Amino acid sequence: MKDVMGLIYTGENDARLRELTITRAIAAMPVAGRYRVIDFLVSSLVNSGIKNIGVITQKNYHSLMDHLGSGKEWDLHGKHDGLHILPPFLTRENVGLYPGLLDALRSNSNFLIRSKQETLVLSNSGIIYNAKIDELVRFYKDTGADITLLYTPDPSMRRDEYGTYISVAENGDVTDMEVEPTHPTCPNCYMQVLVIKRELLRDLVDKAVSHGLHSLDRDILLQMIRNKTAKVNAYEYKGKAWQIDSVQSFFRFNMEVLDSKLRKGLFRDDMPVYTKVRDEMPAYYGDSATVVNSLVADGCQVEGRVENSVLFRGVKIAAGAFVKNCIIMQDGQVHEGAYIENCILDKQAIIKRNARLIGPEAYPIVIGKDVII
Amino acid sequence: MLRKKTCVAMLLAGGQGSRLGILTKNVAKPAVPYGGKYRIIDFPLSNCTNSGIDTVGVLTQYQPLELNAYIGSGAPWDLDISNGGVFVLPPYQKGKSGEWYRGTANAIYQNIAFIQQYNPDYVLILSGDHIYKMDYNAMLNFHIRHGADATIAVREVPWDEASRFGIMNTDSEDRIIEFEEKPKKPKSNKASMGVYIFTWEKLYKYLTEDEADKSSSNDFGKNIIPNMLRDKQVLVAYDFNGYWKDVGTIESLWEANMDLLENPMPIDMHDKKWRIFAKNPGMPPHYIAKGATVADTLITEGCEVYGNVNHSILFAGVIIEEGANVESSVIMPGSVIRRGAVVRRSIVAENATVGAGAIIGEEEGNIAVIGQGVTVPAGVSVPAGQQVDEAYTF
Repeated sequence: MKDVMGLIYTGENDARLRELTITRAIAAMPVAGRYRVIDFLVSSLVNSGIKNIGVITQKNYHSLMDHLGSGKEWDLHGKHDGLHILPPFLTRENVGLYPGLLDALRSNSNFLIRSKQETLVLSNSGIIYNAKIDELVRFYKDTGADITLLYTPDPSMRRDEYGTYISVAENGDVTDMEVEPTHPTCPNCYMQVLVIKRELLRDLVDKAVSHGLHSLDRDILLQMIRNKTAKVNAYEYKGKAWQIDSVQSFFRFNMEVLDSKLRKGLFRDDMPVYTKVRDEMPAYYGDSATVVNSLVADGCQVEGRVENSVLFRGVKIAAGAFVKNCIIMQDGQVHEGAYIENCILDKQAIIKRNARLIGPEAYPIVIGKDVII
Repeated sequence: MLRKKTCVAMLLAGGQGSRLGILTKNVAKPAVPYGGKYRIIDFPLSNCTNSGIDTVGVLTQYQPLELNAYIGSGAPWDLDISNGGVFVLPPYQKGKSGEWYRGTANAIYQNIAFIQQYNPDYVLILSGDHIYKMDYNAMLNFHIRHGADATIAVREVPWDEASRFGIMNTDSEDRIIEFEEKPKKPKSNKASMGVYIFTWEKLYKYLTEDEADKSSSNDFGKNIIPNMLRDKQVLVAYDFNGYWKDVGTIESLWEANMDLLENPMPIDMHDKKWRIFAKNPGMPPHYIAKGATVADTLITEGCEVYGNVNHSILFAGVIIEEGANVESSVIMPGSVIRRGAVVRRSIVAENATVGAGAIIGEEEGNIAVIGQGVTVPAGVSVPAGQQVDEAYTF
């Protein structure tokens, strides 16, 4: 994997995540008690032996930069290669916001030119997976494809009106592709992860952008597949993937991690997920704590009742408080006598004494960062 | 050429810690796990970083493998820097000779060259035997303010226990006038904590002289300190009033762990300004299942709890199966307590397995210990105070 590099694009549309993405990109969304979405992607690449990784940032990227830092937690702080955060910058053809992935790639063509690796793995950051990327690259090399896409047949990944869907022949060739269909008819969801030669990508990006094109899926992949101008095949991801594209799907992901089987599939001993360490002491449970089916991170202090919930680092649940089906991010607090159900508390949110907040299961209440109720 | 450092720390981590029994069979005492996610050495190393001391030599000798691996580049403590950092210093061959560290003073003597690389004004001597949070920088300022040649951190101990410690008799200005090792009739209750700051020039002189004295046992407490007092050097006592706990025996290690469950906690581990850093195993948050009960307990990342845990400490990756009961115990990283097993007043070392229905320890009496990697068969009983290693016959 010495000749493979990684590139992660973090500019996807985040409107459906409401308040949660005001101050952060989807890639920086806190998940599963102590992680950010991007931890899974970077760890997958690193565990597969990739040592040169670029992260293209778009807006709200302060939180992402703060989290990734020098890349030390992922062992990406070496002298050669390592982690490169690529913020948008003003150039002749770019004024900060990228209209599409192709523009983002064009804008960062210097990173592509300077990198030494011949093969490139490109990933979006809106999907959580823990994949053996080295197996994907091997398939790409063995089949001699120009581009190999990663896909999953998992129906929970399908969305109406957006996403990209593919049909795959037995030998792995992609026979059809739909981009943002009203109702997808192709059976598989393209996970926005692909393998390509670095030079080919540069070439395609240059040609497309100079013709006023913006979308990699619609303007390049779809054309290649339809006109058979290149060999595009696909490799099936056998694990479970989660699309984090709305408050509901964010909520569902966190709740599904409570399932031991799904959790063990995502957090594997041979493919650990690395993240920024906070050096909190272990969680403390008081005499009156009652905890059922919950994930609890270090630094928490639990005295009350917690059911089917995910508590991030440093959360405090007072005696007499009841937390049910909730996600409580870093340093959140629920005081005595409060009852909350189907809520997402962003960082440092506080629910004061005896407050009651009950959201519908299908549309959880989001309490913004630093909000006190 | 390395840049000059005001103060270099030397951490004596070579002792076996034989009073910890089978817990130190394969690891040096400073590498023994403590408090759910730490090892003993995290406390002096974090104290160094938090005190602004960024150059630390760790002197190892006994079973250093795990300790070396744990310290690694020093990154968890921010000690992976280019000018300074943490260095593991085992004994090594010098010219025709080469020998083990003979005593605490000799260990430092053998590393004079290491210290001199940094041309420090002061040297801080630490040990890896205690759980405490201490600002060494405040102690250094005290040392400088008193124009001392040596400063010894002391702590007031109960008078009836004073005869177990090295006792400093001081005058009204904190100057040490006499040092008595385990006195029968103590005149003071100020016990040495084994934390010293020396003006390097002076320490260099006394180390060299001590080395030339063939009858010396090359020990700070027995030789260096008494010799400096004899020569009327300025030795001062620095009072420390915070939490300080020896973890040199099975019982005291167990007690120190249980102290973290006190309310309020006698050592503030939530202080964001003085964090205790540790190497992170990179595991997901812990999971408490339906039907589990947890009370008065510390649990860290990677644990899965299906059974009942009360007044205990679970380290990373511990699994407590359904119907198992863990009470007043310390379960170290990676261990598994199978269905229906009962573990009371026990320490279960790393990666051990307690079989289904086994009974470890008793409600009263001494602490039972299950050694590293030991598998306790289903259904057997291990009495209070028993230490179980691979050779134990059930």
